[in-house]
Amino acid sequence: MRMPSAEDIKQRIEAGIPGAHADVEDYTGGGDHFRASVTAPAFDGLSRIQQHRLVYAVFGAEIGGAIHALALKTGTPSKVQTN
Amino acid sequence: MPSSQFEPLPMSSGEPTPASAPSAQTNPIRDAIAEAINEHKVILFMKGTPDAPACGFSARTVAALQALDAPFAAVDVLPDPRIRQELSALSDWPTIPQLFVDGELVGGCDIVIEMFESGELAQALL
Repeated sequence: MRMPSAEDIKQRIEAGIPGAHADVEDYTGGGDHFRASVTAPAFDGLSRIQQHRLVYAVFGAEIGGAIHALALKTGTPSKVQTN
Repeated sequence: MPSSQFEPLPMSSGEPTPASAPSAQTNPIRDAIAEAINEHKVILFMKGTPDAPACGFSARTVAALQALDAPFAAVDVLPDPRIRQELSALSDWPTIPQLFVDGELVGGCDIVIEMFESGELAQALL
């Protein structure tokens, strides 16, 4: 199986969570350690834990498998995290 | 006195169970994990030990707890893959580390660090 790129991860998050916007970085360049900043209206009213679970759910068993790490920063569009 | 204690769970020294053990009636590993979470105010499931973390995410999480001088119990998930499997099934959280306070999942490395930087972690550990 082909290693996913940061762009693949971004597209899957945005396809999996309605209205989501994701910035994804492959921070080792190896196709298995990613860092994502995700905003979505669907996060409104959810705890951080619940927000992260929504993103993890897009990838299911791939997290901890083919995707070794997916570091997350999540928020609603009104509270966009800069950085 | 060290600000952390490493407490191995009894599960890792138990005799091996058959691969096809029925999971419906008894699940000693999951029970031991649930018990450990309930018995410790602050407990971290991590890769490696607080003194020798085996992963950068676990290391950063330990560092945040130590920076707050917070006493915590730690469980190394590496000795037996079933620990991680059962923990994730129990917590509905796919990655390690996982920090629990007062029996509740607080989060993994990202959330713990975010909460450390915002001061929320210190509040949660009171």
